[in-house]
Amino acid sequence: MKSVIYHAFSQKEADELDVQHSGVQQAEAFVRAFLRRSMPHMSRQAREDQLQRKAVVLEYFTRRKRKEKKRKSRGLSARQRRELRLFDIKPEQQSLFLPLHELWKQYIRDLCNGLKPDTQPQMIQAKLLKADLHGAIISVTKSKCPSYVGVTGILLQETKHVFKIVTQEDRLKVIPKLNCVFTVEIDGFVSYIYGSKFQLRSSERSAKKFKAKGTIDL
Amino acid sequence: MAGPVKDREAFQRLNFLYQAAHCVLAQDPENQALARFYCHTERTIAKRLVLRRDPSVKRTLCRGCSSLLVPGLTCTQRQRRHRGQRWTVQTCLTCRRSQRFLNDPGHVLWGDRPEAQLGSQAEE
Repeated sequence: MKSVIYHAFSQKEADELDVQHSGVQQAEAFVRAFLRRSMPHMSRQAREDQLQRKAVVLEYFTRRKRKEKKRKSRGLSARQRRELRLFDIKPEQQSLFLPLHELWKQYIRDLCNGLKPDTQPQMIQAKLLKADLHGAIISVTKSKCPSYVGVTGILLQETKHVFKIVTQEDRLKVIPKLNCVFTVEIDGFVSYIYGSKFQLRSSERSAKKFKAKGTIDL
Repeated sequence: MAGPVKDREAFQRLNFLYQAAHCVLAQDPENQALARFYCHTERTIAKRLVLRRDPSVKRTLCRGCSSLLVPGLTCTQRQRRHRGQRWTVQTCLTCRRSQRFLNDPGHVLWGDRPEAQLGSQAEE
């Protein structure tokens, strides 16, 4: 019965049906990727051991599971950061962030209720203070460190002291906010951001009221 | 409601961050860290300004690690039976935290009930 269902192809049949014998390495790579996808919590070593049918030492999973769930439902801050919330950029990704930039433009247009209201630039500035800048195209105009001047790119992450930007050459640049002047452009409306006053996490920025304090300079 | 202006801007910002996280994840399914960062920012803003979110939106965010949950990609969804009731269990793959939702055809969410309609229309 088996020979009726499973029957080795002859060479002619294989050519007719266009069945390609994929190489051994490709098959192995496929299997490894599939296993990695389906069992992400096992380490690579454990997976290799499973493939070679080595004896894997199991721990007391039942106890561990209960302990994990009974811990604090929020927090776990140290562990969270260990999971690398900061990301590793791979090349050829600047083009992937263009739709994000389009989304940002639409959001800002919606926020200002119009393309270019000639009436009040101050209103737009006030709204920009509370707005979110992720996905904007930012360039550095003035800076105390001359190597930063002229860097342009899409803003990916904004943390307390730093902007993370992808440039046109698909490189991830980390630019400190201190002593820098950034330019944001929206629909022909250019505004300057003095980074020294912006030393806040972006989420705190929307909650805080800004006062004009001190000189506005680098 | 007192002072709807600031709230509306904040809500727009939350909305934008949520859409941006979806957009980034759609472009690059492997790289979840950026989506997680956006959702974490979103959660901090909502906490700081004490904004209420719709339960359908809250369910797609993980409460432990604040990553965006997409069934099949970032989390697993299973149907379980427990004490004669049907629950849907969502487990986040990064922090292994599970959420259980009662799956009862007779249960209607508070937001969908006619008594709550007036409130939501006044907000809009």
